Formats: sequence, structure tokens, C-alpha cells
Amino acid sequence: MLRRVMLLGLLCAGSSLAAGPDPVAGQYLFRAAGCENCHTDREHGGAWLAGGRELLTPLGVFYSPNITPDPDTGIGRWREADFLRAMRHGRGPDGRHYYPSFPYAAYTRLSDADLRALWAYLRSVPPVRQANRPHELPWYLKYRALLAGWKLLYFKPGPYTPEPGKGASWNRGAYLVQAAGHCGECHTPRNRLGGFRIGLYLAGDKAGAEGGVVPNITPDPKTGIGRWSRGELIDYLKTGMRPDGDFAGGLMAEVIDNGLKHLSQQDLEAIATYLQSVPPVEHAVRKPKPKPTRDEFGY
Amino acid sequence: MKQAISKLLLLGLAAGLATPALADDEEVIKYRKNVMKAYGAHMAAAGAIVQGKVKGSLVGHARAMEATTKNMAAMFPAGSDFGETNALDTVWSKRADFEKRAKDTEAKAAAFAKAAGGSDAAAKFRELSDSCKACHKDYRKEQK
Repeated sequence: MLRRVMLLGLLCAGSSLAAGPDPVAGQYLFRAAGCENCHTDREHGGAWLAGGRELLTPLGVFYSPNITPDPDTGIGRWREADFLRAMRHGRGPDGRHYYPSFPYAAYTRLSDADLRALWAYLRSVPPVRQANRPHELPWYLKYRALLAGWKLLYFKPGPYTPEPGKGASWNRGAYLVQAAGHCGECHTPRNRLGGFRIGLYLAGDKAGAEGGVVPNITPDPKTGIGRWSRGELIDYLKTGMRPDGDFAGGLMAEVIDNGLKHLSQQDLEAIATYLQSVPPVEHAVRKPKPKPTRDEFGY
Repeated sequence: MKQAISKLLLLGLAAGLATPALADDEEVIKYRKNVMKAYGAHMAAAGAIVQGKVKGSLVGHARAMEATTKNMAAMFPAGSDFGETNALDTVWSKRADFEKRAKDTEAKAAAFAKAAGGSDAAAKFRELSDSCKACHKDYRKEQK
């Protein structure tokens, strides 16, 4: 019983149930969930959270929407219930389905308290007037009704339920990785229908987000991060430095700068606990280095 | 006749591919990759000292970083954007900003070298780390 109470306390970390949604807890979750990375067009100097960042996928180009409280171009007219439905069920206020380029399959695992806190925080950011740019998709993908089928296959709504017997830190880590951090959205490869490939959870993608290589982050020693110590992993999440002294780049550098480095030591430890416990998968995503041949020394 | 033409074409193609500039570019890419690997090794080694995992002096690592980061942007000349590189096109298309970042890393490496023997070393190491990451964020992507 005591453990369950502690667990509940951890899952609601920061957000006070009695005092209603707390924007400070909301900001913490906002960072853990990496909202800023997709909803700001940093490369072109776009306004904060006003959307317009392109997401190149094999299915087409998606443009993130404006999530500032501007009433006409942002989500200023939304009520809390609209936000909860978007995050929990992947549907807009008008009922239409969202494309899973918006990672609601992960966000659906967030707790009610965290979603409310996040909503409170989003209400507090400066509104920006910037119209959304329509996605560039092949004609057959413009029928959003198809998304109901996708959801039937690959989407199970509902908050994260702690696994008994795994301990509070492990469960907190699982929550941060699966629900908030949505790590699998890039680190788990997908099939042609955009569903995750079974048995390759967090095993990396040869041609993932923005056309780059997304590394295998399972504890496989050969192709994953099995040789990283717990301390090295925590250090990476905090600073971006890998054990070999190389630094994170691209999208992962954004994930660290805008999110992970702001998390508490306890939460980073929880993420490490969880990541080091997932099944190791041998799955090479990098091009193998050419082996030296005798010819090389022949001339 | 036909054969002669195709031979000529082939010769032209071979000549076009084997311009000295291309070979140089490949050498430049190999060279800068090796320099970057050396940075990584010094940073990992310095990091272990900063965190107290091992005992040692930061001075040598910091001086190596300072010396080899001087004029970093010159390792990315025009034309070295093809081949086995993870440098993004933005290195060349946003040159002014790229050079600003490279200068920042030079400055942070110099500051780290200056502080390496003192109590401020850990803070300066972290600033240099942030500078590495900041540049990789916009200008480096693992593509292969």
C-alpha cells in the first residue's frame, strides 16, 4: 500500500492534486515531452511554439501547427477538454483524427494530472499569430477517415499503468520514456503502414527522423548502448557527450537542450534504470565500415 | 568508330571523375574526421578527470583542444560537402553562422586551456561541451 502511494506521488511529481493544475509542473512536463522541438520552426527563425516546422517522412511532409494561445491561428479557443481529447485520443476539437506525426500514441499514456498541468502551462505562453501550413501528402492520405483504421491497428488510448513489482524508479523511467519523452517515435523503426515493427522496440532506424540514422538504444552490447555504464548514460542525457567524447547533434541535441538537461537527477536516473532494462536487440543501423583488404597495401 | 566514341566518352568520364580537386576534398573530409575524433578522445578523457573518475591533469587535453580548434571552419572548405561526411549542407549555405559557431568553440577551448589548472576548470569544460553540441545541433547529422 505504502509503495503504491509513493508511486502515485512520483507519477504526479510536482503537480499538486489539491491546488489544481500547476503551470510550473506543466513546464517541467512540457520539457520532458519535447513539445518545443517540433512546434517551433527553429531552422527558419520561426516564433516559439507557433509551428511550421517541417517533418519529412516517407509518407509526405507534415508541418507542425501553432500551439500558442492565439485565438484565430493557435489553440486559444480550445477548452481543457479539447486539449485532453487531442492528447489522449488524437482528435481535434472538430472531431477529426490527427495524423500520428503528432505522437499522441505516446502522449495518451500521460496521467490526467500531467495533461492538466501541461494545458495550464500552454495557456500561459505568449500568443503568436501565425496560420498553420497544410501538410503535403499524397491524395490518398488526405482522407483522414483512414486514420480510424490506423488507430484500430496501432493505437491503444489510456494512461500509463505502473507495472507492479518493478519499483518506483523503473516505473517513473518507463513513464518518461514511453509517455512524455516518446523516445520510441524515432528510436523504434516502423513498417510501411507507420506502425512500430514488433520486436524492434528502441532498436534504432536506418532512415529515421529527418532522414538521419537513429541509433539503437537497447542494451545490446554490439549494436546498442549495452557497453555504456549507467553513469555514462545519465551523463549523456544531461550533457549530450557520448562515452567516446562525441557530442549529440541534430534532433537529439534539441531533445537534450530543450528537455532532458532540465530534468531532475532522480528522473534521469529513472530513465537510465528503465532503458538499461529493456530487451537488448541486435539491430545495426549504421553502415558497416569497409574492412581493409590486402590490396590496400599492394600499391 | 562507335567503339572509339564510347572509349572517348569513357575517357572523358574518367577524367571528369578523377579531377585533383575531388581527391583533395576526400582527403580534407578524412582529415577533419580524424581531427574530430581526436577532439572526442580529448573530451572523453578530460570528462573522466573533471568528474573525478580518474586522477590526472587536464592541462594537456585542454591545450590540445585549444591548439587544434584554431581556425576550425577552415576544415570545411567549399567542395568538401560530398562523400563520406555527416556535415550538413547548412555548413556552406549558412556560412556566416557556421563560422560564428566555430569561433565560439575556439574561444571556449582557449578558455578551458586557461582554466585547466584551476578551480574553474569544470565550468569551462562544460561550456566547451555545450559549444560542441550547439554546433552539431545545426550542422551535423548522422546520415550513414
